[in-house]
Amino acid sequence: MGLLTAGWTVVHLIVATSLLPLYGLVLGFHALPGVIAQQVLRLPWVALITHGVAALVACAFVPTMAGRYLMVAVLFGGVQEGVSALTRYRHWEPWRFFLSAAATGVLLAVPMWLFLAAESLSGWAAILFVALFIVGPVAWTAVGLGVGTGLTRAGITRIRR
Amino acid sequence: MPVPASAPDAAASADGIPLPLLRVSDLSISHDGAEAATPSGVSFEVGLGEVVLVLGPSGSGKSTLTLALNGLIPQSVPATLHGSVQAGGLDTASASVAQLSPHVAMVFQDPDAQLVTGTLLDEVAFGPENLRLPVAEVLARTEHALRRVGLWERRDENPDVLSGGGRQRLAIAAALAMGSPLLVLDEPTANLDPVGIEEVYRALADLVAAGDHAIVLVEHNLDAAIGFVDRVIVLDAAGRLIADGRAESVLRDRAEELHELGVWLPTSALAALRLRRAGYVLDPLPLTPDDLRDALAEHPPVPAGSDASERDPRPAAEPAAVITGLTLRRGRTEVLHDVSLSVPAGSFTAIVGANGAGKSSLLLALAGVIEPPRGTVRIGGQDVARADPGQLPGMVGFVFQNPEHQFIAHTVFEEAAHGLRRQGLGEEDVRARADDLLDRFGLADKAGQHPFLLSGGQKRRLSVGTALVAGAPLLALDEPTFGQDRARADELLRLLAGLRAEGVTVVVVTHDMQLVSEYADRVVVMADGRVIADGTTGEVFDDAALIERAGLRLPPLRRALSGLAQHPALARATRLADLPGGDA
Amino acid sequence: MTLPATDPFAPAPAAGALRFLYRLNPLSKLAAVLPATVALVLVRDIWTPLVFVALAYATLLIGVRFTRRLAAMLGLAIPVAVAVIGLTFSLWTDPSRVAGTAAVLEIGAWTLRAGALATGYATALRLAAIIALALVAGLSTTGPDLARSLVQQLRVPYRIGYTALAAFRFVPRFAYELEVIRQAHRVRGSGSGRGPLRGITRWIGYVVPLLAGAIRHAERVALAMDARAFGAYPDRTERYLVPFRARDVVFVAVAWAVSAAALVVFLPR
Ligand SMILES: Nc1ncnc2c1ncn2[C@@H]1O[C@H](COP(=O)(O)OP(=O)(O)OP(=O)(O)O)[C@@H](O)[C@H]1O
Ligand SMILES: Nc1ncnc2c1ncn2[C@@H]1O[C@H](COP(=O)(O)OP(=O)(O)OP(=O)(O)O)[C@@H](O)[C@H]1O
Ligand SMILES: [Mg+2]
Ligand SMILES: [Mg+2]
Repeated sequence: MGLLTAGWTVVHLIVATSLLPLYGLVLGFHALPGVIAQQVLRLPWVALITHGVAALVACAFVPTMAGRYLMVAVLFGGVQEGVSALTRYRHWEPWRFFLSAAATGVLLAVPMWLFLAAESLSGWAAILFVALFIVGPVAWTAVGLGVGTGLTRAGITRIRR
Repeated sequence: MPVPASAPDAAASADGIPLPLLRVSDLSISHDGAEAATPSGVSFEVGLGEVVLVLGPSGSGKSTLTLALNGLIPQSVPATLHGSVQAGGLDTASASVAQLSPHVAMVFQDPDAQLVTGTLLDEVAFGPENLRLPVAEVLARTEHALRRVGLWERRDENPDVLSGGGRQRLAIAAALAMGSPLLVLDEPTANLDPVGIEEVYRALADLVAAGDHAIVLVEHNLDAAIGFVDRVIVLDAAGRLIADGRAESVLRDRAEELHELGVWLPTSALAALRLRRAGYVLDPLPLTPDDLRDALAEHPPVPAGSDASERDPRPAAEPAAVITGLTLRRGRTEVLHDVSLSVPAGSFTAIVGANGAGKSSLLLALAGVIEPPRGTVRIGGQDVARADPGQLPGMVGFVFQNPEHQFIAHTVFEEAAHGLRRQGLGEEDVRARADDLLDRFGLADKAGQHPFLLSGGQKRRLSVGTALVAGAPLLALDEPTFGQDRARADELLRLLAGLRAEGVTVVVVTHDMQLVSEYADRVVVMADGRVIADGTTGEVFDDAALIERAGLRLPPLRRALSGLAQHPALARATRLADLPGGDA
Repeated sequence: MTLPATDPFAPAPAAGALRFLYRLNPLSKLAAVLPATVALVLVRDIWTPLVFVALAYATLLIGVRFTRRLAAMLGLAIPVAVAVIGLTFSLWTDPSRVAGTAAVLEIGAWTLRAGALATGYATALRLAAIIALALVAGLSTTGPDLARSLVQQLRVPYRIGYTALAAFRFVPRFAYELEVIRQAHRVRGSGSGRGPLRGITRWIGYVVPLLAGAIRHAERVALAMDARAFGAYPDRTERYLVPFRARDVVFVAVAWAVSAAALVVFLPR
């Protein structure tokens, strides 16, 4: 049951997402659902499930982006889940979240580099390009941690685990 | 794993004696983290055809009990359960919720929280599909269930287009489709307007009349439920079972005791208790408006000992707020058409009307939450549209339906201090006045807590307090008693009455007609974005045709008393407080 | 409550026999465009994306209902986007890489060269091609069908798939809740002040009440679903089958073959 609940955490995120003007622009934003779910629930699988449900809901509203949403969910959810699993779901300190954010950023930057032909960018622009891919998820992870902490403080975790 | 198609035959013991549909023995439940068990040591049985009403004060464990009946406690909600619950011969501790679902079906309070699909048909089919029934069987059950609640014709529509009452009937159909003979409903009408409530009870009454179901019902609104319940179970504040018997006998013989306990009684019974003290002989105690009416019709007139307390007619002072020719658009639709209205200072004004009539929109514009066109809304002589945002909180306080929406700080103290800081007071002043406010609203010992962790009643008090902290002389509240039990609603209304005594003007939007007639001195009736009546509470409720036209219902006391020729003193009464018999 | 602007449950529009895309499995549509999409990430010329734009347009014009929205998207939105993105991308291009090509525009010391334009427009066209290919699935698939086919063909646990279906209903509710929360915060005076920083702190203030309400709501929904035996068995009766038929196989095969052919023919060697 905890899992199902976790799944839903996402949905709300989606809503938050679909309303933010930045949606889609800042890819790192997609880190949020998993970060909040993990920060609040700290259980195995929550990140992946949350991302899965989030992606499906997003698909329903923008079917054109279906493929992208699903890939993003697998990528972000997979990395977040993977890093948590490697630390055996015992470490929930911020560094662990930032680690998965940075890893995701690198994984994202590679295909996007190819896609946007970033090799043709001038030197500093290329550096900025890669840097932003790492900064984006990290920054959004920080936001997610803040939100998760806020929710915990408001007693949300108390309800059910 | 095959699942029995329908349960009644399963509920027979080996020697052929029918088992009760439900047997609860010595049941105690503690939520994880809770100190005491509620309910505690409860035993009862329910047989086919019975309609059982569960009563008890808030927190006595009624909802907890209902969740235990189909195994959601302890299987989905973490809680410790002692004793046992058997439904259709299965023990809820060992059988899964799914195995139990053909024996016990549930309907919850919020229709939005139990609808999961895109059409009525899919919605009702959802449960049978989960049971892996063959498609033909799923469709047969779905059709049967939808027909029983009168929604079959609308099967292809999206549940969103149904009214609140319609959605709740849909939830009942979804429960019926599980094929279970026992239906458990937890406050199924708490969020509905009067017409919606009637719809739901009509559907339930049809079920009961057919005789193939039993119902366990938790309900605060006894006026609506009393007509069709035949048995009552009462829990006390500690969750112990203190009464179990026929509805009439429990409610009649132990009315005083239940009232003491904080359990709500039908308005007619409360009225009758009061009249008894004034020398009326009302035996047996009337429970419905019709009972009371009949009893009084045969009753010889009683000399009015003490005068029915007249509602103090307030002098028409300077109006607190004036609305002139307000036409308001939200999105692309015009939701208010040329509304004009004056709210007398010091009044308690209620805005009533059916769903979608524009009540909330009017209130939001009045308080400047949605900016009205210039010159249409004036508070204390000042144009709301021209007031700058910093000024507004000092002119009018607005309390939203869900208090959690308006909390912005991390502690109760900060919440109270926020409005004061914005006035630019010194830190010492802020501290003193915030403490003072919390004291006044009984929240002093919660100052360090997160506002979300307060109880429902405390949240509500805090939201009212923060709306008033800037010293606004006008307080606007949107459905302040929505989703709250009667005890908390009462607490809030006493608070409002107290504020009013201090000179605050109060405007509320509500669906609760008895509340209106108890507390409001002015009533504004809205329909389709227009004000169709505006007058004193007495005047408005005297016009039964108007009330009907607005999609509303008269308050129960009115229904019982209006036009009682031989008791002229009573015929004018609309509030319990108007009746002779003094304070309960 | 007001009705949602987009109803994710709305049935697919009725369409004539020619409009074949509606009758295909959502997964086959996604699979059909996948190789082309991946290839487009890697190519660098202008012709390959152009060919795929053309192929996608043709498929769309035949396969989905012709609406004003489709016309606006294909005829206006995508071309304009290409024009704008191509230009901005060329501005970003490293001048030293295209130094040898002809100058198109000179403003003071700054020169826009044909090479830069070529790179920029190649990227923009790749984007356009990928979006046009995504529309093949996007314009003819509904969210619920996609969720169902994920469950039915890809064996995604149905608890996740159908949870998402249930979650579609949340979205309009949250749009409404968000509006109320914004109003409430404005009334409390937390929204005063301007500037991006204030804006951000304001949004953070909305998130906690919004999510808290949402999670509570989700829990109630979860209980109600459990009470109706959701998740009780490893599978459930499917009344709406989203089958993967022979025609899906054919469609995917043809799409892959055409993609391969286009790549072979047009990829510059
Ligand atoms: N999920 C939960 N976790 C912890 N405690 C809970 C939970 N739900 C209810 N409780 C506590 O259990 C007790 C009984 O609550 P319950 O909701 O059953 O009361 P109720 O009789 O239905 O009240 P109401 O009339 O207000 O609906 C209360 O003290 C409540 O605070
Ligand atoms: N934000 C909005 N945008 C567009 N239309 C709206 C908006 N809010 C409400 N409406 C519409 O305005 C009309 C009046 O709504 P309002 O909320 O004022 O009614 P109400 O009388 O408060 O109803 P209820 O009893 O259901 O709360 C309705 O038809 C509603 O659909
Ligand atoms: Mg309850
Ligand atoms: Mg309203």
